[in-house]
Amino acid sequence: MQFGIFTVGDVTPDPTTGRVPSEHERIKAMLAIALKAEEVGLDVFATGEHHNPPFVPSSPTTMLGYIAARTENLILSTSTTLITTNDPVKIAEDFAMLQHLADGRVDLMMGRGNTGPVYPWFGKDIRDGIDLAIENYALLRRLWDEDTVTWKGKFRTPLQSFTSTPRPLDGVAPFVWHGSIRSPEIAEQAAYYGDGFFHNNIFWPASHTRQMVNLYRQRYAHYGHGTPEQAVVGLGGHVFMRRNSQDAVREFRPYFDNAPVYGHGPSLEEFASQTPLTVGSPQQVIERTLSFRDYVGDYQRQLFLMDHAGLPLKTVLEQIDMLGEEVVPVLRKEFASLRPAGVPDAPTHSARVAAARETPKEKTQA
Amino acid sequence: MKLIAVSAGLGSPSSTRLLADRLTAATLMHVDAEPEVIELRDLATEIARHFTTGFPPARLAAALDAVAAADGLIAVTPVFAASYSGLFKSFFDVLDKDALTGKPVLLGATGGTARHSLATEHALRPLFTYLRALAVPTAVYAASEDWGEEGLDRRIARAGAELARFMAPADRAGAPDTDTAAAIAPRSLTGAITSVDPADGFEVVPFAQRLEALRVR
Repeated sequence: MQFGIFTVGDVTPDPTTGRVPSEHERIKAMLAIALKAEEVGLDVFATGEHHNPPFVPSSPTTMLGYIAARTENLILSTSTTLITTNDPVKIAEDFAMLQHLADGRVDLMMGRGNTGPVYPWFGKDIRDGIDLAIENYALLRRLWDEDTVTWKGKFRTPLQSFTSTPRPLDGVAPFVWHGSIRSPEIAEQAAYYGDGFFHNNIFWPASHTRQMVNLYRQRYAHYGHGTPEQAVVGLGGHVFMRRNSQDAVREFRPYFDNAPVYGHGPSLEEFASQTPLTVGSPQQVIERTLSFRDYVGDYQRQLFLMDHAGLPLKTVLEQIDMLGEEVVPVLRKEFASLRPAGVPDAPTHSARVAAARETPKEKTQA
Repeated sequence: MKLIAVSAGLGSPSSTRLLADRLTAATLMHVDAEPEVIELRDLATEIARHFTTGFPPARLAAALDAVAAADGLIAVTPVFAASYSGLFKSFFDVLDKDALTGKPVLLGATGGTARHSLATEHALRPLFTYLRALAVPTAVYAASEDWGEEGLDRRIARAGAELARFMAPADRAGAPDTDTAAAIAPRSLTGAITSVDPADGFEVVPFAQRLEALRVR
């Protein structure tokens, strides 16, 4: 199982001081956070993609390329890459390039994006969101899996004899997760291709997460990729820790109360009881995270949101230290001991290359 | 069959609730159904929480499910500032946009004076038309003075009979009559899902069918 962090990349005032970091500071902070993740032995760093203030990460592969050069083990990923408004040709090229730079330590998560105006800014219509995700991804798959592509679709300029370069490293494209919170169509898409499904459960009740993941697992089996238990699932997590849980609550409350997503709504206690948010001791975070498998089954990737709501960098780095030193080692052991045989490991480039060499994949006809 | 009355009255006793109860009784004269009243006042903070978190707390989820599953709906609001109350509108804002499609709905409103009696027609009816509900022709407005005059009971009786007529057991076999483009559009942040835990889960369109629909010929 892989553990890591995912970041939205928001520039949010610290509610306790009123201080707003500059974009430059925030970008550098995201890099420091990624390097800290590597330092404490986490497996994954994933960045969001946004094209409007107050968010800075508009160019994920540029950022991940920098991190690739400064790390050895960390898998570089996204949360999410906009499959609706980005040109699938550019996604194919950018991530194949990143894959070469990072010697395969790359995967990515497809998402539609939930900011209405981004669609028209990129010449698209939000009402086509699902269809864009379906058509663009179908093309992206072909660009990675076939050397020469001739293609015509509804949304993009046709391609005649096009080869996306560089070709995927070792002939194996980056692993793809499909992220969706509420759309069964996307769980269905992930299942159809036998790709991973990431449910960003952090603002949602367990009953909803269970239902979405269960749908994906059932359909994964329906399409013949394996048993429901072999489907590849990722989840989010949302924690704030201090040794003493009262200290964690006291320190985090002003950030919670003013956070852009849920601030000025439910109380911290109400929200923590209804969603995976855990504010408390490392032991409480361990117990809560282990409980996720009770309702989604054994899963492959757990990403934590650590750097949002205006938390200062110093605090975030302390949180990642605790996560890497006290929480994740226990979670690795516990999850591994609970996991039945037959549940696959989280995907890595080397394992996928080995698998591809064992069973050469038939290429679909152009 | 299930008959749900949604009352947005705030007082206790409430004339809005009273009208909802009278309309329920008038409907049950003509149809055998199990009645249930949903008082929005009791759900006011949960409705606000749904707006801020994007998902309904448990009691609100149950109420939204009950409305979606009802065979007939009676919707009654006090008139505030020449229209339905904000609480009333907010409840229907968080209801799934397809939950009322084709559902027979009886509209009612209460107010201090008869001058607002057309609020049922210029405010309530367009809202339920948008939701593709089948709003029955007679809507009932009750001003304070109506409670002491003849006429209200006849309107209530006529409206109840109309609702009962349209509450015949529907053909549950067919797929819900939803507009395809709207159904595949991303959910809005507040447009919400009916419930976080509907009993029958998701309906899945097989992926090959979606790919085929996009094929350029």
